[in-house]
Amino acid sequence: MSSRQQKTTFDPVILVALGIGLITIAVILFAFQNQTDQALAIGIGSGLWGRVTVAFVTGLTTGGLSCLAVQGGLLASSLAHQIEQDYLEQSMQLAKRGNKKSLPQKRSNTALPILLFLIAKLIAYTLLGILLGWLGSFLTLSPLMRAFLMIAIGIFMIGNALRMFNVHPIFRYFSVEPPKFITRYIRRTSKGTDTFTPIFLGALTVFIPCGVTQAMMAAALATGSPLTGAAMMFAFILGTSPVFFIVAYLTTELGSRLEKFFMRFVAVAVLILGLVTLDGGLNVIGSPLSLQNLSRSLIQSESSSSTQTSSSQLADGQLTLNVQNKGYFPQTLRAAANTAFTLNLVTNKTYSCARDFVIPSLNVYKLLPDTGTIQVDIPAQPSGTRMFFTCSMGMYTGMIVFE
Amino acid sequence: MIKKTFKVSDMTCTNCAMKLESLEDMLDGVKEINASYHKLQMVIEYDESKLTDDQIIAAVQKKGYHAVLA
Repeated sequence: MSSRQQKTTFDPVILVALGIGLITIAVILFAFQNQTDQALAIGIGSGLWGRVTVAFVTGLTTGGLSCLAVQGGLLASSLAHQIEQDYLEQSMQLAKRGNKKSLPQKRSNTALPILLFLIAKLIAYTLLGILLGWLGSFLTLSPLMRAFLMIAIGIFMIGNALRMFNVHPIFRYFSVEPPKFITRYIRRTSKGTDTFTPIFLGALTVFIPCGVTQAMMAAALATGSPLTGAAMMFAFILGTSPVFFIVAYLTTELGSRLEKFFMRFVAVAVLILGLVTLDGGLNVIGSPLSLQNLSRSLIQSESSSSTQTSSSQLADGQLTLNVQNKGYFPQTLRAAANTAFTLNLVTNKTYSCARDFVIPSLNVYKLLPDTGTIQVDIPAQPSGTRMFFTCSMGMYTGMIVFE
Repeated sequence: MIKKTFKVSDMTCTNCAMKLESLEDMLDGVKEINASYHKLQMVIEYDESKLTDDQIIAAVQKKGYHAVLA
């Protein structure tokens, strides 16, 4: 047994994270002191402080998990890089010493890349808030553009996972090789620490906002003020950060216990998230090949005679779709072929990204109010047509079957 | 000045390339190093009167990799 005493050290990164956590709790307590349910509604609150508080609480509650579902893959990619590096260094030391037991266990330094990722994200979105407040809707990505971006990111992540599995040399090209002048600059300023990947990927999240983020972007746009727009986006992203940090850090700490299996564990995580991102992108372009649409079509064709769970009432040439926080109900609507009708989209205290309603084949995009009804005219379609609809991030989906 | 290419087949990520490029600041006589994880190689431009191939290979080995003259 070693008589050497273990020196207690505090990782400054952890202290910063704890600080953020404490500030978060303080703001929640303050925000919920006088507000209950409506604190989650985007865009309410008067004055700069009111808007900023609501933005922060929205980020902390719905925004954090929603964004994690969409952008978690990029964060995982950042961590994968760091973990891969730590694992390699440890393996090299083991090989040099030739004795596994003589080497003290080294923890993977994942806190720093997570923080860098989140700080880059915070800065990028704050800048976006300035631009949104300033330039209006010019910078808003269309659902189709976002879909292709998601598909590209999904493919990138899957390729990166396959690279980590060492499947084929071709997958090396899925690893981002930063320009030489940047690596040279980073090397000379940070002495070899790999800071580029998490910063780059953190900033990249600005192009794949989740539904709640988009709603917040719309609210920032509506302010017409660069300062208010920036403050709102800053507060919102700051609110999402604790969830990101806690989930990511705990996940990686758990993983480091698995030692030699961890690399594969990370690769599997990146692979799954990549597939989810790709699937979301396919949903947004209305592809029947997405997992959700494929399974729905299969189930629907198997039980085509049954209309119990999926039928909806067609009265006066109108169909109703309930847009709820958990998605669209019913998920499968049936409509008469060769007949135009009106689709009523009904929301009732709906704050999730289901509000960003898209019908890709008709190029319909509607940001629905949290409570109310919006009508969409659906032109006549031949029998057998399956018209897919989705939220703008491809998380919630459904379809209209014409028969 | 001479430019030579070394194959470094045990690079596993882009950070390995960055590590190899850091030799630029450590080896006397080196003008520039361009390492690529994609190509698993390192192109080094150096003054052959100050540095030899063996010294380069030894320096790469110290970084934890194996270099072979291409």
